[in-house]
Amino acid sequence: MENLMFLAPELAVVVTGLIVLLIGVFMSPQAKNVLGYLATLGVLAALALTIQSFGTEATMFFGTLSIDALSQFFKLVFLAVSLIVSLASIKYNENSDHTEEFYSLVLFATFGMMVVASANDLILLFCAFELASLATFALAGFEKKNARSLEGAMKYFIIGAISSALMLFGISYVYGATGTTSIPMIAENATLLAENPIGLVAVVLLIAGFGFKMALVPFYMWAPDAYQGSPSVVSSLLAAGSKKMGFVAAFRVFIVALAALQPDWQFAFTLLAVVTMTFGNVVAVSQTSVKRMLAYSSLAQAGYIAMAFVVMTPMALTGGIFYTLAHAFMKAGAFIAAGAVVWMITSQKTGNLDIPDHLDSFRGLGKRMPLAALSMTVFVFALAGIPPTAGFMAKLVLFSSTIQAGMTWLAVIAILNSALSLFYYARLVRYMYFLPPEGKKIGMPFPYAAALLLAVAGVLAMGIWPEPFMQWAMDAAQVLI
Amino acid sequence: MLPVASLLILVPLIFAAVTFFTKTKEQAAGLGFLGSLVTLGLTLYAYLNFDSSTAAMQFFESIEWIPSLGVNYSVGIDGISMPLILLISIVIPFLILYSWKEDREAPNRFYGLILTMQAAVIGVFVALDFLVFYIFWELTLIPLFFMVNIWGGEKRVHASYKFFIYTHVASLVMLLGIFGLFYASWQQTGVPTFDIRELVTQFQFFESSLLRDAIFLSIIFGFLAKMPAFPFHSWLPDAYSEAPTAGSVLFVLLKIGGYGLFRISLPMLPNTGNPNLMITILGFLGSFSILYGALVALRQKDLKRMIAYSSLSHMGFVTLGAAGLVTLSVSGAMFQQFSHGLIMSILFMSAGAIQTSTGTRIINNLGGLAKKMPKLTVVMMVGFMASLGLPGLTGFIAEFLVLTFSYVNLPGFVLFALLAIVITAGYHLWAMQRAMFGVYNEKLGDISDINSLQVFSMGVIAILVIYFGWNPNPVLNMMITNSEAIVSLAAALGV
Repeated sequence: MENLMFLAPELAVVVTGLIVLLIGVFMSPQAKNVLGYLATLGVLAALALTIQSFGTEATMFFGTLSIDALSQFFKLVFLAVSLIVSLASIKYNENSDHTEEFYSLVLFATFGMMVVASANDLILLFCAFELASLATFALAGFEKKNARSLEGAMKYFIIGAISSALMLFGISYVYGATGTTSIPMIAENATLLAENPIGLVAVVLLIAGFGFKMALVPFYMWAPDAYQGSPSVVSSLLAAGSKKMGFVAAFRVFIVALAALQPDWQFAFTLLAVVTMTFGNVVAVSQTSVKRMLAYSSLAQAGYIAMAFVVMTPMALTGGIFYTLAHAFMKAGAFIAAGAVVWMITSQKTGNLDIPDHLDSFRGLGKRMPLAALSMTVFVFALAGIPPTAGFMAKLVLFSSTIQAGMTWLAVIAILNSALSLFYYARLVRYMYFLPPEGKKIGMPFPYAAALLLAVAGVLAMGIWPEPFMQWAMDAAQVLI
Repeated sequence: MLPVASLLILVPLIFAAVTFFTKTKEQAAGLGFLGSLVTLGLTLYAYLNFDSSTAAMQFFESIEWIPSLGVNYSVGIDGISMPLILLISIVIPFLILYSWKEDREAPNRFYGLILTMQAAVIGVFVALDFLVFYIFWELTLIPLFFMVNIWGGEKRVHASYKFFIYTHVASLVMLLGIFGLFYASWQQTGVPTFDIRELVTQFQFFESSLLRDAIFLSIIFGFLAKMPAFPFHSWLPDAYSEAPTAGSVLFVLLKIGGYGLFRISLPMLPNTGNPNLMITILGFLGSFSILYGALVALRQKDLKRMIAYSSLSHMGFVTLGAAGLVTLSVSGAMFQQFSHGLIMSILFMSAGAIQTSTGTRIINNLGGLAKKMPKLTVVMMVGFMASLGLPGLTGFIAEFLVLTFSYVNLPGFVLFALLAIVITAGYHLWAMQRAMFGVYNEKLGDISDINSLQVFSMGVIAILVIYFGWNPNPVLNMMITNSEAIVSLAAALGV
């Protein structure tokens, strides 16, 4: 019998999800508000259990599941995002009849991501990947009567389904060449793949499969639509959480399992990283919808993180892993802040109701919703890499590691991109603080306020006192090397 | 003993934060003034407890910050930073007094940004860790950007973005250099550290001379663009002239580029692959800035633009004196930073006052202002005379030291720069004569002189210009001590 205590965080999440789903059926829409708090508590418990389990190592279920520093770090990422999202969703789901479905989907998606983080076998990895994907497909289309939400969800679903097929196809080649789906075993038999042209095909297919989740150019097409159309809390989960699932899967599969093919995938990631960050930043400049702008900025950030695959030094991997947590806080927070503004516009019924997240809705936000404006400022400055925020520390470690590896050209590209991104982030700040407000001051609902403060705390904690996070990220990077 | 170095950052920062939340102009200006007075008090405390006879770091504090990267929060003050801290702490309270009666929107942000700027600049001066240094370095951009962008003149948006992008990109190049330094030293010693002095020491042990040159050039590029020196100066005229008066003065107080030159680049210079080439480059940039700035200033129609170019010309003396690498030329360059800050503050305040009264800055549209604005004319005259290098005022001491002692090593460049002396005197006197003297231009209507607060604040700075012109020792001594340390290092290496 396996010691299930190692899975306590996962169990906490999935059990909470089931309870929420079950008892929600018997509740009136008004009483369902309590479900949000229940889900939040469940995630909080899982978070506590994860942090408490730091340092333990185990493999379970015939070596298909590995509990190590890497999986624990990414569980921390997913649970932090899930916590922020569940908290903010309390307001979003107020008096809705579908609260229990929403929360159980969020929790199941989180569960799927957590299993991906610890999966040590390609089949398990694929199943968990699908669990998380299916739950987020449904969440993206959660507003049934909103055409944008449906359009985004549809694109997300179709491209997602094709990518899953590609990924599975890639896995089948890997299995065909090596005769195993276990990641450590593949690594042992990697020469079989490296000597066989099938190995190259498998790498291409797997990059396409993971690249979809990571939203790297050219697999990003769904992302802007899905991020803009989905309810903001869901965009937050997609951009901050499920994107990182692609990264942790890619970390394990490429760096551990397919290490023998490093020259091949490293070349591909070099290209993807440079194109993604540049494209994301250039396109973000011309966006007028803030959520869409955040979507493109999220592309750019994925491009930065992908640099870890290019540089591949311990420092770079530490930076990449640190960056995922930093990005989780900044992006989750930024989408929640955008969500608060959308809520303000739609509940006031003034302004651009067709595109409620238009830049114009942010005019004078500093006067209308001071907390939302202040936290948004922290998030966008963090995304731009301005000290003392998490984004600065992440960029410091990641970008500087490229210099250490002698890839000055890559550092120059990344830094120029970073300078460019400051333009559209600063524009948002200008709208919020230096343009006159169009409307009166609005009281901030508690759930949004709590979620925003949580994300701000994360961003600032990682920026001002990065040492513990850096240590965790270093431990996680050790697993890969 | 008070932890002065940290307090000098913290006090203005806290006052800035509080000032942002004030409601009225009086509260904002009052709180801003109080904050700058407390900072001045702390600076004087530091100055009085300062030992000018040693080049060592004083008021040193260090706290571990990110051990895994070797980052410490370490700060300290020495003879390079003390005069500059003194400069900004003296000018800021008078700057706030000067702008006390001006009406503008969002005064809370205006005064809050001034104090933020002060904290950031002092942060750069006291930082002894590259990461801390870089953070404050970048922080200075934000107040200046908003200063120009919100309260600037007609082309403020263009000017603010140009300034921001230009110097931000330059800083990023500098950051690359810092990374290179950090990793090369890590490889060398096996211990990561961001400590400025340690890294500057380690620099000489890097094997590849190409690497050393690349690091040196990328770091000094950040400094030269910030100073600015020809040919990286093109953001300067726009930003200086579009900024509101207080913004222009803040630009003048932004002495971080020249400071970096003395703190970081000069100790590294003797260990570069080809020090003589680097000295030639610096000497050329310095002397050419002097001449070029003066020539362009001569043909400016706009008074403020003329002052901006004269600022470029004066900053050339800093580069030239640094390249001279003789104790007194380096001290002269340091003193030029101090003196330039005081003089330019007067000039920009005068230009601002003229614009407020007459509504124009075009020199030819002015004329005979001395009749209507006698108080301004007196103070402005002191500023202009100091700026053109009249003996007895601070400008003379700085330029005399730089020119005389740089001649030892760089005679050609000094002769080249000497050409500018005549031009400098020319455009100053010519502008003064056209704008202030002669027949009063009746088209300007009935104008009023500067108010008493402005007389007081500009007057005090003018008196300091005269005082330090007769008795530069209170700041010059510590500069000489530190220059000696820098130069002896270079001399030991036979440069």
